[in-house]
Amino acid sequence: MSIKKSTDWLRLDNAAKIFPAVTNKKETNTFRVQMELTEVVDSDLLQLATNNILNRFPMFKVRLKLGLFWNYFEKNERPFKIRPLTSKVNEKIIPKENNGYLLKVFYYNNLIVVEFFHSLTDGTGALIFLKALGYEYLTLKGYEITPDNLIVTKDSVPTKDESEDSQSVYYNPHNRKHVKEKKAYMVKGTPLEIGNMGLISGTLPTNKMLELARSHNCTVTEYMSAVLIQTIYNTQIKYRGHLRENQKPVKIFIPINMRKHFPSNTFRNFAIFLKTDLVMTRDDISFDEILTHVKESFSKGLDKDELIRKISENVAFEKNLFLRTAPYFIKLIALKIGFAMIGNSLITSTISNMGIVQLPESMQPYVKNVSAAIYSGKKNPVNIAVTSYKDKFNITFTRSIKETIIEREFFRHFTSLGFEVEIVSNYVEE
Amino acid sequence: MKYCDKCKVKVNTSQSYCPLCHQKLTGEPDLEQEFYPKNVTNIRKILPLTKKILLFITLSSIILILTINLLTYENTPYLWSLIPIGAILYFWSIVRYGILSKQNIAYRLALLTALLIIILNLIDQNFTTVEEAQGWALNYVTPLALFACNLAISFIIWIKRINYREYLIYLITIVVFSVVPVILYYTQVITILWPSIIAFSFAIFILLFIIFFYPKSIKEEIKKRLHI
Ligand SMILES: [Zn+2]
Repeated sequence: MSIKKSTDWLRLDNAAKIFPAVTNKKETNTFRVQMELTEVVDSDLLQLATNNILNRFPMFKVRLKLGLFWNYFEKNERPFKIRPLTSKVNEKIIPKENNGYLLKVFYYNNLIVVEFFHSLTDGTGALIFLKALGYEYLTLKGYEITPDNLIVTKDSVPTKDESEDSQSVYYNPHNRKHVKEKKAYMVKGTPLEIGNMGLISGTLPTNKMLELARSHNCTVTEYMSAVLIQTIYNTQIKYRGHLRENQKPVKIFIPINMRKHFPSNTFRNFAIFLKTDLVMTRDDISFDEILTHVKESFSKGLDKDELIRKISENVAFEKNLFLRTAPYFIKLIALKIGFAMIGNSLITSTISNMGIVQLPESMQPYVKNVSAAIYSGKKNPVNIAVTSYKDKFNITFTRSIKETIIEREFFRHFTSLGFEVEIVSNYVEE
Repeated sequence: MKYCDKCKVKVNTSQSYCPLCHQKLTGEPDLEQEFYPKNVTNIRKILPLTKKILLFITLSSIILILTINLLTYENTPYLWSLIPIGAILYFWSIVRYGILSKQNIAYRLALLTALLIIILNLIDQNFTTVEEAQGWALNYVTPLALFACNLAISFIIWIKRINYREYLIYLITIVVFSVVPVILYYTQVITILWPSIIAFSFAIFILLFIIFFYPKSIKEEIKKRLHI
């Protein structure tokens, strides 16, 4: 279901259908990926590069239009304007103020920042776009670099499978049982003013991270999840297990890149999540105990049948005949009510590991780092995005609360193990 | 680079304190500028002054007209003030949805036509006292306004060939609505036939034209707006 020459429109995928209904100033459903170059970004060249690359990504060069039963993406012919970066992180993208586009490109000193509304794509799709943009920019700059099959270049031709709605491909109506869930523990804190999101990023040595995970017989994502759970436990729950709120399980939400589990080449959304789920009322829960639990949650969550069940559970609602034939505004109300009732209260915090960012050898001298950040809302006020580029392992916290105790304890866990940590913050405090 | 003794982390900033623990940092900054832009406090958007003044005048004139109407209610016992208030609101709709709107022109025309038809029908039903004249809005205004709108959108599509697809859906909507007056005639809600016939024939003409010359576009347009 691509944008054909004769049609110029695109059905929304499952994720894209839900996000517009549940997005507001607090829950922005926006995330960013950024590339730090070794030199200051030339905004005119970046504008040119962006125009070129947007034409190569027709699934992003769209605007959201209202249909009678479902919204849809329509080819957007209006000009796209890049802008200087402000202190705001992952603010709600208002299409009206952005010529209808659902992504933004920023520049600041050495940084190229791209923010996406989640309807367009997931972290993997966003990184494919960012790499293409960085490559095009450096090419326009006049550097001799080669794509080495790692970059989507502007000269290649968009294919149909890049715009595929992969979830609907792997939908199985016989394996779509809905599993009821309990509400999750919510991280406490003093809310920041709406629209101000705190960002604290720590860069650790990649090889030491890998070594550490290996020594515990787990993956880095599993290890980080365990550290986050331990941090939340130590700072907010331990010795207070008798309080009602603290008896709710701590649930870490982990998006899984489905392209690694199913053959798909889509640039659009294709992620399913798994969750850890641990009640922490005892006062003597050890790190090893937490890690064992996390590993179990991962192996259960990554089971093929379970992945297909989750895909099918997601897609089931749009296959429902009654819902399908209801006018869009009724769906909108239903989705909003549903989301207000449960929505984000089933998640304590998110760790989105977007993985290793591979760039062509010839491009690497011009790129210092590639990192990401996801938004933090009202019910999940502290979240983490992770990328690794060469020797830099980037752990980026975003928060919607003033307190930075979780970040502090999380990074102190690694410094106490002798890691060198370099911190960057956007200093949103007062 | 600056350093926090307590957290044992390097901090890439020119600020004086650690973002993690808020203790004083040691060492000298590497950068002249911050890694991320400085935080600026939110500035609330204020309405521009002209807009404020216009809005104020509009609201106060509405209140004034309503007041006069109510004070003289014993002499003229009906709410005539609703007519000028309707006119003022329609004027504002023209400014807001006709001139200032960034929506495409076919949408704006269709919206303003629909509003005009609604307002005039309301005036007709509530204020036409001469019995023979009753129903003028349905008999004449509704079909002729639909006809005019149909003509205007077709004309725009004809001159702006490139973006005609965006306008098609509004044209189709107007065409569909142009059938309504004829139905109203045969159900004897309206009594004058010729304006309805003009609107209807023209709508059929346009519909045939689209079907003959843009068959693919119309199919696509309907598919994309109505897909389930
Ligand atoms: Zn510190």
